[in-house]
Amino acid sequence: MSPAFEKHLNLLDYALSSLWRRKMKNLGIITVFAGVIFLVASFQILTSSLTSIAETMLAKTPEIVVQKMSAGRQESIPLSYLNRLDGVFGIRAAVPRIWGYYFDETSGANYTVMGVERNAMPEGQRLEMVIDGSYPDAEPGGAALGREVAANMNLAGRRTFSLFRPDLSLKTLRITGIFAESTNLLTGDLLVTSLDDARDLFAIPDNLATDLLVYVTNPNEISTIAKKIAARLPDTRVLTRPQILKTYKVVFGWRSGFASICLLAALAAFAILAWDKASGLSVEEKREIGILKVLGWQTTDILTLRYWESLTVAGLAFLIGCTAAYFHVLFLEGSLFRPVLLGWSVIHPSLKILPVFAAGDVLLIFTLSVLPYLAATVIPAWRCSTISPDAAVK
Amino acid sequence: MMIELESVNKIYNQGQPNEVQALYDVDLVIEANSMVCLRGASGSGKSTLLSIIGCILPPTSGRATVAGKQLSRLPDRFMTIHRRQTIGFIFQQFNILPDLTVQENISLPLLPLGVSPEERRMRAKVLIERLGISHRQNFPAGQISGGELQRVAIARALINDQPIILADEPTAHLDTKLSKEFLQIMVDLKKTGKTIIIASHDPLVTEKPEIDRIIDVTDGRVDVS
Repeated sequence: MSPAFEKHLNLLDYALSSLWRRKMKNLGIITVFAGVIFLVASFQILTSSLTSIAETMLAKTPEIVVQKMSAGRQESIPLSYLNRLDGVFGIRAAVPRIWGYYFDETSGANYTVMGVERNAMPEGQRLEMVIDGSYPDAEPGGAALGREVAANMNLAGRRTFSLFRPDLSLKTLRITGIFAESTNLLTGDLLVTSLDDARDLFAIPDNLATDLLVYVTNPNEISTIAKKIAARLPDTRVLTRPQILKTYKVVFGWRSGFASICLLAALAAFAILAWDKASGLSVEEKREIGILKVLGWQTTDILTLRYWESLTVAGLAFLIGCTAAYFHVLFLEGSLFRPVLLGWSVIHPSLKILPVFAAGDVLLIFTLSVLPYLAATVIPAWRCSTISPDAAVK
Repeated sequence: MMIELESVNKIYNQGQPNEVQALYDVDLVIEANSMVCLRGASGSGKSTLLSIIGCILPPTSGRATVAGKQLSRLPDRFMTIHRRQTIGFIFQQFNILPDLTVQENISLPLLPLGVSPEERRMRAKVLIERLGISHRQNFPAGQISGGELQRVAIARALINDQPIILADEPTAHLDTKLSKEFLQIMVDLKKTGKTIIIASHDPLVTEKPEIDRIIDVTDGRVDVS
């Protein structure tokens, strides 16, 4: 083994024994530091996981949604617009959809009601979300419910429920199926009926729908076809699946970013604390540096020693914080921060979240936590180790 | 010769209101394999002189040559290397790290040299046995007696087999018996070819027959007898 490598092993060995000698103080630092890293990493993992779920779920939604706009606001779209799409090359199918929000006064929750004719949708694109039961295809008065809606309604074994029409008359629906938990991000607050039942519930005239769903033959042509539709229907807003996915990412990213800024302040406070601690080296620590210098340790040796000490503390805190964050998302489904990212609502989608921790996320957290700590501890040690050994020993 | 000082001055805090001159035009030659005592009262400048000889402090002016190297020309980094190759220190307060074991304290100078743990242990063991503290080798230094601490400090000064041993008031915290034992160890070391320089005003040291020379230090000036 080369003397240079042996020297580093010796210094690492000494650094570890030095940390052990001050174990209570160092355990305290590791605990606080790991806690801050845990918070930042939890947000990062949760954001990545939710974005990944959104990507998976949105793969099953229509490629293009056409909404009619009037004075900058969305309004119902005439079914005659479907005829105006005839002849747009690349459209596989176009179907109307009715959807809206239903406020349940009993629980104070808002449900999203969606009415579609699944049989008119192309094979392989009929929502295709995992369901316990069946979709209310040709059965009038049927409804498939999101898991959270079903729980919120307190059905207690009943297979029917009633909702109020705008004129306060009751519309009774029969439960045909409950969406699987894995689809909760999209279906948690969802109630799917046939087009006619949704029309009846919201009292929407027969010649109108909320929007049109357009399915394309070649997914690579989505943006081209969207442009053609926009040209044919200038009073509409044409939304594509990639745009919707981007919106999800922006929402999660914004929320995560906002929270991360708050947590970065905590991280910065910790770095300042570490700096303060390290620059205010105790008399014992200064004396130790002085003794080591008199015994022939160079400034670089002392810096290497402090570097190993700091790297051990920061590395351990980083590992503990990141591991805890991973398990927080895996086993507790990020329960500490989920409301921040998913929004506050009476109905909360209870998702089975699989942690996504990309290399970029690890690098980002490492850069934001470990490197500032190294700087905050090694620089003051350098300042101290450059003083004369004579002064340090005295 | 092992050490040569020519017109060496040392001024602390030069140019500041609290400026203090500790040494005035010191001329001194110390031969190799000699045992020398720097004698003087507290504050006379003998510790400063010892620090300059020990490559801890550079002189403000003048020329200091230790083991063939002129210190005033050496950058800090090389002064450190020269110090660890040449000088073994024994301090008045021992300067032992109390949380480390006796063996770890003795091995400290070897760590940055890349000496393997086995060799460190072996070298330390030889010295520990030679100085009669084998029964304490795995004890934390904070738990052993003053006399034993002194021996740990001596072992640490010898671990790298440096040719010069400097001792600053080594008997100040020892009783008569331990002081005599310490001086006997120094005499034995001299016989192995080491150059020994002891700063002290303890009569036990200054009147020791084996001392080759007494150098009086008074108010920063040196009187070579």
